[in-house]
Amino acid sequence: MDLVLQLLFTGIGIGAVYALVALGFVLIFRATNVVNFAQGEFSMVAAYLMVVFSVDLGWPYWLSFLIALAGMALLGVIFNLGVYYPLRHRTYLPVIIATIGASILLSNSVLAIYGPQPQVLQGWFDTPGIQLGPVYLDSQYLLIIAVTILLVLFNFWFFEKTLLGKKLQATSQDKEMASLLGISVSTMIMITFIYSAVLGGLAGILVAPVLFVSIQMGSTIALKAFAATIIGGFGDVTGAIIGGLALGVIETFGAAYISVPYKDGFAFLVLIAFLIFRPQGIFGERVAEKA
Amino acid sequence: MKLTRREFSAGLAAGLAAPALLRSAHAQGATIKIGMCAPVTGPAAESGGYAIKGAKLALEAVNKAGGILGKQGELIVEDDQTTNPGIVLAFSKLASQSDIVGFLGSIRSTQVHAMAPDVLKLGKPVMIGGTDPNLTHMGNKWLFRFRPNDSYSGRVIAEYGVSTLGKKKWAVLHSTDAFGTAGGKALTEALQKLGAPPVLDQGYANQSQDFTPVVLAIKQSGADILGSYFTFENDLGIFARQLRQLGVNIPWVGSPSIVNITALKLAGPALYNTYGVADYAEDSSDASKAFGKIYRDATKVAPDNQSAWTYDAVTVLAAAINKAGSTEPEKIRDAILAIKKFPGAEGEYNFDQNGDGLHGYNIVKNDKGKIVFDKHIESND
Repeated sequence: MDLVLQLLFTGIGIGAVYALVALGFVLIFRATNVVNFAQGEFSMVAAYLMVVFSVDLGWPYWLSFLIALAGMALLGVIFNLGVYYPLRHRTYLPVIIATIGASILLSNSVLAIYGPQPQVLQGWFDTPGIQLGPVYLDSQYLLIIAVTILLVLFNFWFFEKTLLGKKLQATSQDKEMASLLGISVSTMIMITFIYSAVLGGLAGILVAPVLFVSIQMGSTIALKAFAATIIGGFGDVTGAIIGGLALGVIETFGAAYISVPYKDGFAFLVLIAFLIFRPQGIFGERVAEKA
Repeated sequence: MKLTRREFSAGLAAGLAAPALLRSAHAQGATIKIGMCAPVTGPAAESGGYAIKGAKLALEAVNKAGGILGKQGELIVEDDQTTNPGIVLAFSKLASQSDIVGFLGSIRSTQVHAMAPDVLKLGKPVMIGGTDPNLTHMGNKWLFRFRPNDSYSGRVIAEYGVSTLGKKKWAVLHSTDAFGTAGGKALTEALQKLGAPPVLDQGYANQSQDFTPVVLAIKQSGADILGSYFTFENDLGIFARQLRQLGVNIPWVGSPSIVNITALKLAGPALYNTYGVADYAEDSSDASKAFGKIYRDATKVAPDNQSAWTYDAVTVLAAAINKAGSTEPEKIRDAILAIKKFPGAEGEYNFDQNGDGLHGYNIVKNDKGKIVFDKHIESND
């Protein structure tokens, strides 16, 4: 039982990271109908910004955190104007290719500026974790889980209870109709990119003390987050969260009880099973072609 | 005399090409070129930088001492991207330059396996740092190893843990790539010979984000000592932290990655009091100390095996070419295999007919972040 609890905690912790990045995928997909393959690089860039402000410049952690997130908001604006906006009237394929290009540009830019050395970023708390009976709770994972819960609540309130949230939803559902109702579609898409970049950045900053800060950190997480998005149902916020958590728990238990080397395999096995038997994901709706 | 159009065209082409051809001929003769595949990008880019530095420092020393066959040595580096396809591409780029007389391959066995068929096809000497024993035992006579192979590291880890530390219940943890699998196998075989078969033999995939299931498996196995073969420092750092957080404090003897600079930086106190087999230990010999000083002076960073093996590889290759008096591959090969009692940064080189230069390991301890030399264990075979 102790083993199960420990694995469950770790699985939820790592799953929460996937969920945070998956959320960024979903929001941009809903607003623009394209997958942003640079979402993982948003996490990596934010983690490096934290290293610059907090470690290199020695600024207080909370200040570095706020400035790093502000930097991510700016990156969201630049990304929207530089990658999405010029291609907004094209089909989804050029936009997706542009996001892949942007992902390569971001990782190589960081490599050129900061070098290839992995960096250490301290966690938010001085205490690495707490022993609760037989289970060790890593303080950083606790923080990640808490932030994920808060974000779920925030997203519900924001999208369902605020006018801006409803405008964003309207834009994602039908851009032409939203435009006819006086909603500035380009502004809504800009806000979505900013929010997604900040979310991706938040995930990167939170996970950096656990996985270290490296050029590859974003792509590793993004691959799983992408799988989580499909499992949860592409385009569904709740699905992204549930998909991420499920993936984290499945791979952790799969590693413990079946095979450690095939840990990643379990995640993708589940993905394949979903693609075959329930391609719309857990919360997605079946899209039927009309006769 | 009347020129035909064809004669005019041929003359013009020859006239345009002549300066370039002359330059090329001059360039070919001006230096002796050594090709090097190194991870400039990818997960091992940091250690790749150390490797390139080691090779450059060796070449500087060689050039100062008169060069290679009276000419200056020149290092041509190609990025292997820390991937198998990357090193195949990098090597093919270098191999296409016919004036390169010898090469430095990878410290990663899996990459050496990937490039080995092309090495055999090319038929020129390639210095390697990969420690999978099979690399020099698979009929490829052009591979020469500048680190002790894992059959030695496995034996030394087992010997030290069983005889010196007195532990018999082993958990063996290794990466599932070529290096880790071969290392884990060598350690397991050595433990079986010592009458202490491992209670847990656990593989893991590279670039894992979480090692909780592994740590819990070690805990449940009842092991009283851990032996490990990690390929990437990121993995080692994450594992070391989780091992300590989950309360596992058994002695740990690891493969050389446990004492390299990046791992020490990432894992910090989680690696205190661990032991490692190290092919490079600064205090193990005068040659090691001398290299340590040169490297520190040049880089302000502590030396480790990443830079030491490339330093030795270039030094030995240059010495072999000078001794052979020729850049003919077969003659260089014979000269390398004839090298005995050659003092290198990694140890004393005595090449056997398989191309293995070193036959023993140092044991070092992480004393609060400082790597302290304990002893050298040499094998007689």
